[in-house]
Amino acid sequence: MLIEHPDEAMGLEIAAGLRLAGYAVAVCPGPRGHARCPLTGPAGCAPAHDADLVVCSLGYEQGAAREILRELRTRYPDTPLVVEVPADIDADLQELLGGCHRLPAPATPEQIVTAVQGLPGHAPAEDSAGA
Amino acid sequence: MRSPFHSEPEAFRFVLLLTLALVPVVLAAALGPTWLALVVLAVVLGALAVRAAQLRMRKLRGLEQPVKMAPPHMGSAEERRVLVVANDTLSDEALLSEVERLASVPHTHVLVLVPALISPSARLTGAVDGLLDQARVRLKAALDRVGPDVVVAGEISEADPLEAIEDTFATFVPDEVIVSTRCERPASGLEPGLAGLVRERFAVPVRHIVSEPGSAAREPDRDTEARYRHEFGDAAARKFGLKALAGAGIVAAVLMSMVALVQSSERNEARAAAQAAEQIAALPPVANVVDLKVIPEGKLGPEGEKHDEFTTTEFAVRAGQPQELRIDNTDEVPHSITAPEAGVNIVVMPGVHTYTLLVSHPGRFLWFCTFRCDEWAMEHPGYMSGYITVS
Repeated sequence: MLIEHPDEAMGLEIAAGLRLAGYAVAVCPGPRGHARCPLTGPAGCAPAHDADLVVCSLGYEQGAAREILRELRTRYPDTPLVVEVPADIDADLQELLGGCHRLPAPATPEQIVTAVQGLPGHAPAEDSAGA
Repeated sequence: MRSPFHSEPEAFRFVLLLTLALVPVVLAAALGPTWLALVVLAVVLGALAVRAAQLRMRKLRGLEQPVKMAPPHMGSAEERRVLVVANDTLSDEALLSEVERLASVPHTHVLVLVPALISPSARLTGAVDGLLDQARVRLKAALDRVGPDVVVAGEISEADPLEAIEDTFATFVPDEVIVSTRCERPASGLEPGLAGLVRERFAVPVRHIVSEPGSAAREPDRDTEARYRHEFGDAAARKFGLKALAGAGIVAAVLMSMVALVQSSERNEARAAAQAAEQIAALPPVANVVDLKVIPEGKLGPEGEKHDEFTTTEFAVRAGQPQELRIDNTDEVPHSITAPEAGVNIVVMPGVHTYTLLVSHPGRFLWFCTFRCDEWAMEHPGYMSGYITVS
């Protein structure tokens, strides 16, 4: 499960919640962590490719958020997306959000874990193992 | 053995890049001399090495923030697993108190991991046991010190500290990592920048405890951590740069030696070809047509009886050059000039006919008549047998 969050500490908190729920996690700080985010490059993003679900915050600058969301939707259309959406997003972003599971920002780690577990095929296992 | 690739697409891209990089080498090998292919190979390898070194340098200096990973939590929700990584600070009271405190919290499992810090030179010289013993002694003393009331597990690792921590993520699956170091890296201790590296790689909380003997432990602030990471990155980049330079020097020397060898071999071949041409030019000229006869019972043998004969039985020809033979077979039956090793089989019919003798490779070849005529003569050069000398 890939967590894309601009706030490193928040990303780790979400990761802790998801780990406790039995998911293996990868936390990426997004474009700020790389000279160029591999997701927007020709090579693509290996963690996004391997993920069976992506938790993405749109707390980035809107241009970057749009680019991330567009690439995730285009390159990995079958990977479910849980998106933390700020209130003031533009129409372009709204359009890209179709089919995603939306959570109003700021979402707590618990809300995100609940949203993930509510998605088909991601229900919590009895023994909290898996992902 | 760890895979150097993080995903299948990454491995695929590597194979694709390698294949594309080999194209100019193959083209140079097919269309030009061998030394050119080696030079192109050197250029391609150099370009790949420079790019790989650039990426490696960026990673070492921490300019690229990698994706943090962590496996699912192990055990029940109440359980908490703490990994403590230490070596030279294991005797510090501050660290041991913290370990004791953590281990006394219910449902908390503590594993003390002691990387033995085996350097490549120690591996080469076989000085591994001493370092392992030192780590073992430090761990035992620490576990004895935390007392019998709490349960703390311990583990020694021969691997690089970061790899050892990665291994425990597969076995112990920690929820938190504590890295204990000194302020500055001592001769035989953990690098203060290790905490930063662990933070960059794993998606769990990482605490860095810095202590000096006899003083209280502290957790460095963000700036100090950044300095540790920066210093570690610079040192690692310098070390890597030196290794890369040495490696490039060795590869360059090997390639230059190969180019020199190939050029020398090509020069030798050219010289040998020129010598062969000179030798051929120096040979006596070969007659355009050789006239000979086949005469039944035409030559007296050493035992006093007459035998069949070819009047010429020694033929000197040039490799690949046809030699005409005008043969007057005065017998009533056919005879032959047959040399299997030279690929020659000329059937000499009765009467006067012209035949072509052609041998492709140099050597001295025995020929004989294969038609049953005079059996003694067929076995004796100078009669119905002889030699073809090809230069």
